[in-house]
Amino acid sequence: MDLEQQIKQAMQQVAQLSDCTLVEPIEADTLLLECGLDSLGYAMLVAQLEEDLGFDPFTELQIETYPSTFAQFVAIYQLAANNH
Amino acid sequence: MPSLLERLKTLPNTGQISYAGNTFSVHELITQADEIRQNYAHLAGQPIALGYTNLAEFITAIIAFDAWCSSIYLCPPNVLLPQDDLIEWPLESETSAPVTDLPNSDRQTNKPTAWYLATSGTTGQPKWYAHSFASLTASTKYSEKLQSLNWALLYQPFRYAGLQVVLQALLSGADLVDSADNEPLALMALLKQSETTAISATPSLWRQLLMTGQLSDLKLRYITLGGEIADQSVLDSLKRLFPQAKLRHIYASTEAGVGLVVSDGLAGFPLTWLDDNSQPVGLKISDDQHLMVKPRFTLCQNLRKQTDSQGYLDTQDRVEVKDGRVLFLGRATGTINVGGNKVHPEEIEQVLMQCVDINQAKVYPKKSPLMGELVVADVTIKPDVDPKLIKFELLKIAKNQLQRFEIPTKINIVNEIAHDPSGKINRK
Repeated sequence: MDLEQQIKQAMQQVAQLSDCTLVEPIEADTLLLECGLDSLGYAMLVAQLEEDLGFDPFTELQIETYPSTFAQFVAIYQLAANNH
Repeated sequence: MPSLLERLKTLPNTGQISYAGNTFSVHELITQADEIRQNYAHLAGQPIALGYTNLAEFITAIIAFDAWCSSIYLCPPNVLLPQDDLIEWPLESETSAPVTDLPNSDRQTNKPTAWYLATSGTTGQPKWYAHSFASLTASTKYSEKLQSLNWALLYQPFRYAGLQVVLQALLSGADLVDSADNEPLALMALLKQSETTAISATPSLWRQLLMTGQLSDLKLRYITLGGEIADQSVLDSLKRLFPQAKLRHIYASTEAGVGLVVSDGLAGFPLTWLDDNSQPVGLKISDDQHLMVKPRFTLCQNLRKQTDSQGYLDTQDRVEVKDGRVLFLGRATGTINVGGNKVHPEEIEQVLMQCVDINQAKVYPKKSPLMGELVVADVTIKPDVDPKLIKFELLKIAKNQLQRFEIPTKINIVNEIAHDPSGKINRK
């Protein structure tokens, strides 16, 4: 499973846990804040992905620019994955 | 010390207050405050419980009541009043305020009013802390530059952080737009429409505004972070977007009524501030790594009892010293700060313990780069109970009784929960 799929799967998990509904489909340029998860949802997503992947790019990388689209979010994880 | 009303009347310019599409000049609100004093003369010297209706009425009331009533309790909605002799404002009916026979001149007027603020987080009975107008406005300033600012109010005005924004905007003659309680994208649209140039918000809310990708559409000149620990990432991101803006992060202890303002763009505060007498508050670190503060003004009696032999008060904030900075780590009390919302672990544990299949529960914070901290729970379960089912059951109970930010984001089933020798859950 590639990183993007893993992130989508974790998003699904968090959405279920927090009674949110994700929009369909989530595309590269979908705004994160319009995906269906709120800020607490994203905080949970980052915690979930830290468990699944073993790293948390937001803590490790000193984020230069906070992501606003799904593609930017995936790119941050891709960058961190390459470092590991 | 001049009162709020006196200070506003001597300002060269006053601003405008807006909420939900309504705009009033502060000048109009001053006139209304004068009318309240004339029409309700029997309220002079009385203790007032100020209920929140809207921003304009709230500001009118604090202008009218400061240095005129004995105390003002800034009441969050549905709060239990701390004593029953308080007069609730707005009055329910013209006759609901007790009218005493005392002539006005015999009652306390024009003396410092005690401003009471409720601490957030606890359900039911909040703790009330008294502040003076002098301590609340210790860091507010007036200048032509500040006067031209357009503030967005993102906090509730009856909380410490919100009141700070209200008083700063009022006393600097700036404009203020009530923008609280909006989702990030809707908030962004409102900020753009109001041409906001000054914002005070929690680091978590700043991260959400950064995640809209639209923050750079604003022309921010004044940026304040408070209410939770500001980390270097969010400070750097804001500095990069607004290199010309004044960037400040504030550490405040509502209990002690003190605030530290850090404006060098770095997380924490300089180590040199410890034992520096020119700071507005004396600072030291205790042996157990708690930040201790000693305000320059007189503490209320309750707090005086809690000071050490040198007069320092334990803030219960854990700190560490690293590379010449004093960095905040979290609360020693175990209180969890989820994006500025305080969560008391004991209350969450009690809710989880309602599930008959668990023996013990321990709730604690997990660091989150987006929300500061998240709530996590460890539980021990009775033998022969299905762990999957129990997690589902606990979440159901939590969702029914807790606010969203209080619900554990993760539940771990563990074999044992550590206790200290007195039998309390070990929260270190």
